[in-house]
Amino acid sequence: MFLTRSEYDRGVNTFSPEGRLFQVEYAIEAIKLGSTAVGIQTSQGVVLAVEKRVTSPLLVSSSIEKIMEIDSHLGCAMSGLTADSRTMIDHARIEAQNHHFTYNEKIKVESVTQAVCDLALRFGESANGEESVMSRPFGVALLIAGIDEKGPQLFHADPSGTFMQYDAKAIGSGSEGAQTELQEEYHKSLSLQEAETLSLKVLKQVMEEKLNNTNVQLAAVTPEHGFRIYSEDELQAVIDRL
Amino acid sequence: MDHFPLNWDKLGQENRGKPKNDIFADAITRTQRPIVTGTSVIALKYKDGVMLAADMLASYGSLARFTDVKRLYPVGDFTVLGASGDISDFQYTKHLLDTVMVEEYYTNDGHVLRTQNIYEYLSRVMYNRRSQFNPLWNAYIVGGYNNDEKFLGYVDLLGTTYQSSTIATGFGAYLAQPILRKAVEGKEDTLTEAEAVEILDSCLRVLYYRDARSFNKFQRAKITAEGVEITGPYKVESQWGFAEGIRGYGP
Amino acid sequence: MNPVSLYDIDSLTISPVEAPVERQFYPYADNGGTSLAIAGADYCLVASDTRQSSGYSISSRYSPKAFKLTEKAVLATNGFFADGLALTKRLGQKLEWYKHAHDKEMSTRALAQMLSNTLYYKRFFPYYVFNLLGGIDEQGRGVVYSYDPVGSYEPEMYRAGGSAASLVQPFLDNQVGLKNQQGAQRTPLPLDTAIRIAKDAFTSATERDIYTGDYLEIFVIRQEGVTTERIDLKKD
Repeated sequence: MFLTRSEYDRGVNTFSPEGRLFQVEYAIEAIKLGSTAVGIQTSQGVVLAVEKRVTSPLLVSSSIEKIMEIDSHLGCAMSGLTADSRTMIDHARIEAQNHHFTYNEKIKVESVTQAVCDLALRFGESANGEESVMSRPFGVALLIAGIDEKGPQLFHADPSGTFMQYDAKAIGSGSEGAQTELQEEYHKSLSLQEAETLSLKVLKQVMEEKLNNTNVQLAAVTPEHGFRIYSEDELQAVIDRL
Repeated sequence: MDHFPLNWDKLGQENRGKPKNDIFADAITRTQRPIVTGTSVIALKYKDGVMLAADMLASYGSLARFTDVKRLYPVGDFTVLGASGDISDFQYTKHLLDTVMVEEYYTNDGHVLRTQNIYEYLSRVMYNRRSQFNPLWNAYIVGGYNNDEKFLGYVDLLGTTYQSSTIATGFGAYLAQPILRKAVEGKEDTLTEAEAVEILDSCLRVLYYRDARSFNKFQRAKITAEGVEITGPYKVESQWGFAEGIRGYGP
Repeated sequence: MNPVSLYDIDSLTISPVEAPVERQFYPYADNGGTSLAIAGADYCLVASDTRQSSGYSISSRYSPKAFKLTEKAVLATNGFFADGLALTKRLGQKLEWYKHAHDKEMSTRALAQMLSNTLYYKRFFPYYVFNLLGGIDEQGRGVVYSYDPVGSYEPEMYRAGGSAASLVQPFLDNQVGLKNQQGAQRTPLPLDTAIRIAKDAFTSATERDIYTGDYLEIFVIRQEGVTTERIDLKKD
């Protein structure tokens, strides 16, 4: 796709004559190298599922964390350079706590997503030489799931700082296939349980390894329990339904 | 040193005139008490607009130091600022408001600040200065007329504000305000110009008799649809004959 | 006069000259005024007189110190008027920011917490204001929050604040809280009763408190919005 490099590849803040920011576009490409992550929103809650690449039998699979809690009502799945997500999730957590401190209420899913996206374009250097936070764009995309007064919602945030709401969304290496599958299978009256199985079914189809309770991670945000990562046993129960 | 000529003398400027190793070199001075002061300003609303009046004395303590000081100052075409309290702070405020008016004029967009806007701005200045423990030691009355609407507002060194159909600062709050209220309240839209002048004069007379920091030389401002008109200096009639019969009174 | 007495130690120590007193600028004033708020089942009532005082003088007969902040909340400020106004302006800005950031009107609960923080952030140069925040919550029930100048707050069913608070609060304890009354029927207070109580409270406060009078402004906050009523009080 980007076979020819040009001089506009150099500056992280330099537009090409066609009006493109190559470094940002490359960052979005970097997501496609990451492991697949899936999010599905239902009326009963939102499900997040990710593939964990267990590259060695000696690797402790539970040490791979690709779904994280932002607040008791907010969760997040990621794909890409997951180390980059620390900055974003730290910020999201602070923003959520700060909101609760100031307003004594839970922050909205959209607001926390916006807060994360505000970080995305703070790379490179600014015109008047102020210090900038980052030298390059984030190499990670997030699926942010949560529940607020508008009900269960799923948002996708990418390295360009753009965010959009989805009924169901897949990111990462298997995202093309996964998204097609989600589009076919998704319907508005999906139950949470159906969403659990659908998310794993979709992951299973795009994963190279055989899916088991250690190479995927599953989480949900529900009105009853808030954000919760499934234990291996609970995960197994879902796998058994496939 | 950098390579921008405009910055070259900036470092030097900071230390210019300051002795080395002087622990007081960075000290700042704040207005801690008024020095040269003006006494009451009084104001009322009447049929055609708003009127303010004040004497022309600036006192240095109990000394009648300056006797030709204008304490009613027009700001723009339809606003008058009346000042009591520290005269140097008043002069600063005049300069400040002029700057604001000129800057607004520069933009050349046909927009002019109305009395309400000037009053709000002045109020914020007064409140901010008190919040920095560096007050402008004044009580101001802002009067104006814009788009068929009369405006009369008060703001002081604490940033306290209020609007009313009669306002009097300083001693006037005790001596003139009761007279003004009795004569004006409920009649803001019917009092004629002549009646308004008469009311103000009777207040000024009482103030001249009883306020030892007052002076029989006044100015009066009228703000109507026609704009600002400041009259004076003028005197009010006063009667001191009784002093003859009182031992220890008079010369 | 005996010249010896000039050097008398006693006559020197009881000199008529007082020790020098340093007066420095005091950035606060008490502008008087009274407010009360009553929470009903589906409404909230906030009432404030409109007199502004300075010492024994009436500065203005109509200088409102209760402000509608949102469609669901009214804030009554008591104490130093300039601080009350500055605080209200800041809250107005914060409310606008919140609306842009979160695409919704701030709830009364959120506003209550934000007000507390706003006050506390100025803990060491406080807004000298005793606030009453009246409104309706997300369920449409009446709520009253009362504050001290540095942000301590609690939700209550009714509260009086300001210069005649010590006169009005016991009256509300009796008429709204039905305190110390055996066998009293604790039924929800109808709005017209609350308005009557508010009016009585203020006519009585006006009688005894020199800082209260001129006009009474009554805000009623309901699900449908906020209504305002203005009533004459004695002007003496």
